[in-house]
Amino acid sequence: MTSIPRRASRPVLAAAVISTFALALGACGGGGGSGDSGGGDESVVIGYTGPLSGGGAAYGENVQTGLQMAVDDINKDGLEVDGKKVTIELKSLDDKYAPSTAASNAQRLADQDKAPVVVSPNAGAIKAIQQINDGRSKFLISAYTSDPAIVQADNPLTMMIPPNFESYAKPFTEQGMKHGGKKLALLGTQSEYGQQWTKAITDEWKKADGKIGADNSIDYATVSDFAGPVSKALSEKPDSIFVGGPSQPTALIMEEAKKQGFKGSFLVMDQAKLDEMATVTKLENLTNSVGVLPVKEYEDPGTKDFLKHFAEVAGEKKVATSETALNYQSIAIIAKAMEEAGTTSDPEKIRAAIPDALSKVDDKYKVNGFPTEISDEGHLVNPELEVTYLDKDEKYTKVPVEQVSDAK
Amino acid sequence: MTLFIQQLFNGVALGGVYCLAAIGLTLVFGVLRIPNLAHGSLYMLGAYVTYFFLTTVGVPYVAAIGIAALILFVLGVLLERLVFHPLRNSPHTHHMIAAIGAMFFFQAVAQAIWGADFRRMETPISGSLRILGAEISAQRIVIIVTAVVVLSLLTWFIKRSIHGQTIEAIEQDRTGSALVGINPAMVSMLTLGLSALLVTIAAGLVSPINLLSPTMGDSLNLKVFAIIILGGLGSLPGAIVGSFALAIAETMTSTYISSAVGEAVAFIVLVAVLAIKPTGLFAKAVQR
Amino acid sequence: MNALKNPRILGTLAVLLIIALTPVAFGDENYIMRVITVGLCSAIAVYGMNIILGFTGQLSLAQGGFFGIGAYTVGLLTTDFDWSFWQAFLVGVVGTSAIGYLFGLIALRTKDEYFAIFTMAIGFIIYLTISRWESVTHAHSGVNNVKFPEAGDLIDFSNPTAMFYLVFIILLACVYVTYAIRRSSVGRTLLTIRTSEDLADAIGVNVGLSKQLAFAASAFFGGIGGGLYASVVGFIGPDAATVDKTFEFLMFILVGGMGTVAGPLVGTMIVTFLFELFQDFQAYRFIVLGPIIIALVIFAPRGVVGYLGGFIDKRARKRRIGSARKDGSTPAGTPSSADAAGHRGAPADTITTTEEKK
Repeated sequence: MTSIPRRASRPVLAAAVISTFALALGACGGGGGSGDSGGGDESVVIGYTGPLSGGGAAYGENVQTGLQMAVDDINKDGLEVDGKKVTIELKSLDDKYAPSTAASNAQRLADQDKAPVVVSPNAGAIKAIQQINDGRSKFLISAYTSDPAIVQADNPLTMMIPPNFESYAKPFTEQGMKHGGKKLALLGTQSEYGQQWTKAITDEWKKADGKIGADNSIDYATVSDFAGPVSKALSEKPDSIFVGGPSQPTALIMEEAKKQGFKGSFLVMDQAKLDEMATVTKLENLTNSVGVLPVKEYEDPGTKDFLKHFAEVAGEKKVATSETALNYQSIAIIAKAMEEAGTTSDPEKIRAAIPDALSKVDDKYKVNGFPTEISDEGHLVNPELEVTYLDKDEKYTKVPVEQVSDAK
Repeated sequence: MTLFIQQLFNGVALGGVYCLAAIGLTLVFGVLRIPNLAHGSLYMLGAYVTYFFLTTVGVPYVAAIGIAALILFVLGVLLERLVFHPLRNSPHTHHMIAAIGAMFFFQAVAQAIWGADFRRMETPISGSLRILGAEISAQRIVIIVTAVVVLSLLTWFIKRSIHGQTIEAIEQDRTGSALVGINPAMVSMLTLGLSALLVTIAAGLVSPINLLSPTMGDSLNLKVFAIIILGGLGSLPGAIVGSFALAIAETMTSTYISSAVGEAVAFIVLVAVLAIKPTGLFAKAVQR
Repeated sequence: MNALKNPRILGTLAVLLIIALTPVAFGDENYIMRVITVGLCSAIAVYGMNIILGFTGQLSLAQGGFFGIGAYTVGLLTTDFDWSFWQAFLVGVVGTSAIGYLFGLIALRTKDEYFAIFTMAIGFIIYLTISRWESVTHAHSGVNNVKFPEAGDLIDFSNPTAMFYLVFIILLACVYVTYAIRRSSVGRTLLTIRTSEDLADAIGVNVGLSKQLAFAASAFFGGIGGGLYASVVGFIGPDAATVDKTFEFLMFILVGGMGTVAGPLVGTMIVTFLFELFQDFQAYRFIVLGPIIIALVIFAPRGVVGYLGGFIDKRARKRRIGSARKDGSTPAGTPSSADAAGHRGAPADTITTTEEKK
């Protein structure tokens, strides 16, 4: 094998490596000091573990923006818990979308930063965190995923934020058939969530006597050219196409389908947001589609101010999505629940106070279909859920949704 | 039948992109004898730099690719000087880890500068051609034509020009080349710079039909490695044949079998070929 | 031969002792216990890499895949099929070794870089299978509620400290096996292959079979690490089998020191904690970590343990020369310690001993 030349700088470097190691151990072991910042004010850490680098980074950042905006607004208003002024601090850690890293991060936030609440925006990560949040450590998971499996897990310390995605299957099917036809092509993304959607849509479409082609799902993140998969899907001569993954690639797929002459309707999975998609292609390429309602179409009391504020924070070019808006709302709910429960450290009491807190949250925090109730399993619900149909004149029409139960 | 022709063109276009990326990688392997795992992140940086000149500065498309290619050439040279040159006597495990360090670094830098959001690059090339009933967009034709032109130029450069011939000489016999006065260090820099330049052209061409993101090079990275191994490490014809073969296999299996198989096919073909011929299709005599 | 006088063995024992005592200091810190226990699981897989890469000199990049097979076998058998952990673990480890052996039959026909990239392709195919074969592996939904090991009423393995010691004891066994291989004729055979396959062949070593066994052994360790990992974290997703995982392992072994007994463990712990430490920089941590990784391989190519090993040898040689002068005999008069070092320690040893013999 190769012999390696010796270098004079080695001892220095080895010393550096060893001291870094010592430092690392010290930093990890000596944590926990950041709980109280001295003085009369108390501070509480709300933890966040999400993908801040790697493929999911844009998504993770959107969530983080919402959380940070809420924390800033609440601190500006002044939060008082049990007679003491409390400052909320958001602490974010990167998990690169890996569930095991997310669980380690959550454990760290709960142990060292004494976070009573940890936010996670990924079903796999939430399932991994559910292994540890109700045993030796206790903390509330603020769960941003529409996968009902996380409330079916019977974890008493989970709060699920967005609507159950299964509720969308029926109105999507009805609208898709109405504006397209009976034959559906499947071109969703190959993620966990995409596959669940594909299954839900398939079941519902069959129930409505529709015909379904082969499962043409592709991994939106790794395909370098969408023309091939689109040609393949169109060769089935469908009347409607189910698409959806991250907004931007979804937009490209729809553009490509229109370019190849597709005239039917699109069913756009809720991960893709029509207004965000319009940042990479013309809105006319996205027409004749049914999808979730853009944030700007909501008429909650705080929506307008929120959008203005968002533009200041994120820049005019960015589109506020429900990832940002719903997490913004949920932090306001948690802060109110802390106030109601009179504690910033007991997650069980905070969870118990959420039903009361919901009606007391200030109007300005209601931006995106604010929930009016929380189910026993921990799902925030707004009974008036709507989806939207984007017609040929680029107008959004709201369509009411009948929500399905979270039970299996 | 129309579908078949359509997918054949899509496959050839994809092959052109793979080819431009793979050739640089296989050259680097031939000269430096290292598998450069940071190749995909050079592709990503090439795309972003092109995007920067096209969209932010506002120079024309072709000029933007040209400027980006030159900048990446310099970056490639720096990468060789700062990372691979100090490791020239180490085993290849060390290069791999160093390249991964560089890859992490490049991705984090791109995210810090341009953000994690997907970006789209608009091009002046639009419209499409109708060939045998299939709709082929002009951008794909441009990709195929450019790949052929660049490949011819590269072949000319390596076979005919003095600098290019030094590359081939080093590939064939490092010690002998040094004896006749070729400076291996210079050639190493030239080769890595050239590979970064080629991969930038690939990135500039493919970006308009896809999206830019800091991780866009990841999926290309593994595939390009499969290609150069399949063709035989360091072999130019091997890389060309491998690129088009795998790209067409990928498009066709995705179309006629399933997308999951399409994604895996490059690696399945690789395993099958190496099981029969352990040194790839066009193996060169390997110098030790 | 007095083992306790050898600073290399002493050092290894000291590292093991420090780690063995962590629950005493951090038993209540769930986070630290978790990071260390997960680190130990990785370290076991890294010991597997040590056999094929460190001893035999073959860069196998399928280790992340083997880790994933071990993890998924335990995960799926204990949940969907309701097996006990121990049954599933046994099947997982044996299965992973068998798969490793079979892959080895084809993989080892290739050499050098071809072998490296070929095994990377195998690792990637394993990952794709796990992440796409939805009906069996649940793809990206992952496997939830993996069982803890059963021990009747004796020990409760849901307690992190108990789990830590279980993983630790298995790791000790792996360290011992590594040590034993290093000293045995098998180890010397593998080292000969690393030095030169042609030479090994010439002196009558069955190169093919030895490499084959080393590869299967590395898969065996990978399976153990993965199986334990599944139980420790309770939930596994396809990220347990990615090619990135392999590169992580590779980083661990390089930082610790290839071919050494303590290296994989030391490297795993250093890099794991380095990564955790830099978490505070969130997305930007790789701007710092990337160059650190590069600097480590450039300036400390033999890893921390390799470096310390070289340091010890240098001192030992000085002392020997010193005492030799006093006694008036030649340094070559004390061959026993030089031989012992040559059979045990780092790859550096091979280099230093040859230097000494010059």
